[in-house]
Amino acid sequence: MTELEQKIRAEAARLLSEGLVDVVMAFRKEDAPLRPQPAFFTCVEDLENLIYNGLCANNLANYLTRYPDETRIGMLVRGCENRSVNALVVEKQHSRQNLYLIGVPCTGIIDWRKVVALTGEDILGYEETDSSLHVRTKRQSYQLPRRELLHASCQRCVHPNPLSADIVLGEALPEGDPALIRERVEAFEALTRAERTAYFKQEAERCIRCYACREACPMCYCEECFVDHNSPRWTESGTTPAGTHAWHIIRAFHQTGRCTSCGACERACPMDIQMTYLTDKLGKDMWDSYQFAAGMDAKSQPPFASFTLDDRKHFQAGGMHS
Amino acid sequence: MKYILPKQDLNALLERWSAEYAVLAPQKSGAYAEFLPYTPRSELCLEEPHNTRYPPKALFFPQSEAILQYKRTTGQLESISAVAQKRVIFGIRPCDAKAVSLLDTVFAEGDNQDPFWQARRAETLLIGLGCHAPCATCFCTSAESGPFHTDGLDALLTDLGEIYLVELLSERAAGLFDALAPASSILQENAQAVQSAAECALPKAFELDGLKGKLDRVFDQDIWAQLAQSCLGCGICTFLCPTCFCFDLVDEAQRDTRVRNWDTCMFRVYSLEASAHNPRPTRKERTRQRLMHKYSYWWEHADKLGCTGCGRCVRYCPVGLDIRAMIRKAGAYENEVLHAN
Amino acid sequence: MPTDISTRNPYQPTPMRVLRAYYESTDRSLKTLELSFENHADRQAFFRKFNPGQFCQLSVFGKGESPLGVASAAWEGDFVRFTIQRMGSVTKALHELKPGDTLGMRGPLGNGFPLSEWKGKNLVIIGGGCAFSTLYALTKHLQYPQNRPDYAQLVVIYGARSSGLCMYKQDIQSWYQREDMEVHQAIDVPEESWDHHVGYVPDVVRQIAPSPDNAVAIVCGPPIMTKFTLPALVSLGFPAEAIFTSLEKRMKCGLGKCGRCNIGSKYICKDGPVFSLAELNALPADI
Repeated sequence: MTELEQKIRAEAARLLSEGLVDVVMAFRKEDAPLRPQPAFFTCVEDLENLIYNGLCANNLANYLTRYPDETRIGMLVRGCENRSVNALVVEKQHSRQNLYLIGVPCTGIIDWRKVVALTGEDILGYEETDSSLHVRTKRQSYQLPRRELLHASCQRCVHPNPLSADIVLGEALPEGDPALIRERVEAFEALTRAERTAYFKQEAERCIRCYACREACPMCYCEECFVDHNSPRWTESGTTPAGTHAWHIIRAFHQTGRCTSCGACERACPMDIQMTYLTDKLGKDMWDSYQFAAGMDAKSQPPFASFTLDDRKHFQAGGMHS
Repeated sequence: MKYILPKQDLNALLERWSAEYAVLAPQKSGAYAEFLPYTPRSELCLEEPHNTRYPPKALFFPQSEAILQYKRTTGQLESISAVAQKRVIFGIRPCDAKAVSLLDTVFAEGDNQDPFWQARRAETLLIGLGCHAPCATCFCTSAESGPFHTDGLDALLTDLGEIYLVELLSERAAGLFDALAPASSILQENAQAVQSAAECALPKAFELDGLKGKLDRVFDQDIWAQLAQSCLGCGICTFLCPTCFCFDLVDEAQRDTRVRNWDTCMFRVYSLEASAHNPRPTRKERTRQRLMHKYSYWWEHADKLGCTGCGRCVRYCPVGLDIRAMIRKAGAYENEVLHAN
Repeated sequence: MPTDISTRNPYQPTPMRVLRAYYESTDRSLKTLELSFENHADRQAFFRKFNPGQFCQLSVFGKGESPLGVASAAWEGDFVRFTIQRMGSVTKALHELKPGDTLGMRGPLGNGFPLSEWKGKNLVIIGGGCAFSTLYALTKHLQYPQNRPDYAQLVVIYGARSSGLCMYKQDIQSWYQREDMEVHQAIDVPEESWDHHVGYVPDVVRQIAPSPDNAVAIVCGPPIMTKFTLPALVSLGFPAEAIFTSLEKRMKCGLGKCGRCNIGSKYICKDGPVFSLAELNALPADI
């Protein structure tokens, strides 16, 4: 057990034993190698199963909307999860006063697929240190540099520290370089239209319409998703180009000013489809047009969800930039 | 009949087959393996520790397929064909081949045979490659299959280092291997040793004996809610599953087509009725349906287990849910809770 | 090689034409369509297999299919009747069809009522709402002079929310004159000029108290009605083996393949839709 794990367990135990929360959301030890699972602890005895390491890949804020507003939830939050919680509180999906955020500065989520790709082998077990991941296969052991294993969204992470946690366990980390996301988006913008289309098609057309991206995303909490609506139907149903294109483009647009760039969508995708280039592009547009970034506090409405009488520009034909 | 196929001769053999058959073999597509048409330039991935990511059931039962074409304006039906060419699927794993034979009980038996499935099935030979090093997520030996099982296969290859030992399993495939030299009894013994070593390498994931009854008895219990607690409700486990076959029929009005798409009991809308009633309103009921279908209902429908232990659902579940652990917990619940009361 | 499978494509509907179309209810939520066959061979194939209690998938091209119970008996003529409640996009499109319009039909599907098992028995038919349509088919079948002697007493209890929602009005009115059957109609709340029963179907059943002796009861109605009528029959002494009901669930293929309509290991479309209460009691609570 790491020192951090020990601190998280202790804080979770305190919250549960003092009756301050009804449930603590964190992670528990995996059944399958490299795949710790989101877990929901309601009694102190179960906390011996609580773990925390770089392979805890899910955004726990995703589970917030499953609980009624009055449920008091203790929850482990990293930088991105804290921003998702903020964005959900803004959208009235849970009341902040019934949340107790156990903050952990995040050194980035390890992408288990990169571990498999780098070794080319089936992984049987692992051990994590600050700088590396030791993995064991049938044939041998590997020591892999942690930085190289991080999920792409985590390599570009700007705010690894929880912004509004009720307690922060562990030392604050330096902020990331915002140029990394920006440069990636600008590189995409610099492509010709044909190149952008080709890239979009190559990614979207691998889609198997399993909607893991939607289900893994904290901000995709609609009771009825546009894609499940059948009267009228908004998209073609199958895995045809028309169907997959429509899904990926509309899903991204619904995230405008709401996506916190946590990358949970890509980590969930069974077909390794790139999606954050679209949401990050929309995020950059929101910043450039409105100086707004989702989830930075628990008050600010996303520009597209807010209306004020003194809007700088009224709705006008020809779009925002005309 | 058993033959020797030197690995260096494999490409020549596949090329020879290509004259008569469309040959499909596992190849890298991005980071994962996929069954793609074989060409002389193909780089096969036969040594991959993991199976193809997308299940080969799609080669017989595509994820989206037109099953009806019509003229909407006149109501006139157009004829529809199931395009099936003579194919060899090379390098399919025994768990996936077994899954194809399981799906035969759904699509090729009884009163309502599915001509789309049957047309492709009749024209396809399955040449399997046994798994000498099963993965940590594999559990075929616990699920009535095995790394060298032959159900559904026309021939099975065993990797013996420099050569493959080919075991011919059907007359249909005899012509594919008639130019190969027969295998000596020593090689056959070697192959046996490799096969049993692989079988033994896999730990027991759960006890299948008596499991159906245990699951049936906990149908109404709370254990399913516990098991489904972290489930996202996505379709990965069922879409990547080689035996899941549920589908939807949807009219694509703008294309004058009725389409059959894979569907999944894990989606809320799957069982949602027009009246807004949903017999499976939460992930609890949906997870229960998925596990009960495979581990209980399949026995009643076909006297077979509806899972081959391929491990895709374990490997790709975005929240790390492991069907082996879920089954163990549901089975154990019966012992611990129901019997305790 | 492309194989033409049009001749054995189980998803291919047979072409039908709307013969008659009329509203059953004053609020226009229920509409009856009587369909004729475009092809003689299809008609023969249909009536060779048809049994009351079965259903068909009606197809509006461009919209989809909707499973609907057959509401006519074979002897009524060379047509098939359906009464359709407007619910979703397909039923809405079905409501818009006019005489002469074409549509598709797959069926008959499902098991239908076990009529041969019921020979010589008293039959108590209990229906509510638009689910009565298959019981109407059953009653029409039993009324046929060649069929009627095979069964003993016939009692029909039919409830609707209001008189405006009562289906097959004229015909059912004529049943009161028949000597070979007993009819009870009920609506939920009193209305002027309604001289039949008032109350919910389970209560009406208790009040009429049909005898369980040598009898089977057949119940089709909305889930809430079925839920309370089944125990009412049990308390009247009907054994679970003598109580039958027809189930509905979301369906697609109608052939036991698409996996959608199961209750435990049974598919409603293939193993049902008609089940005895004894069979249902053996199934898990998944509906």
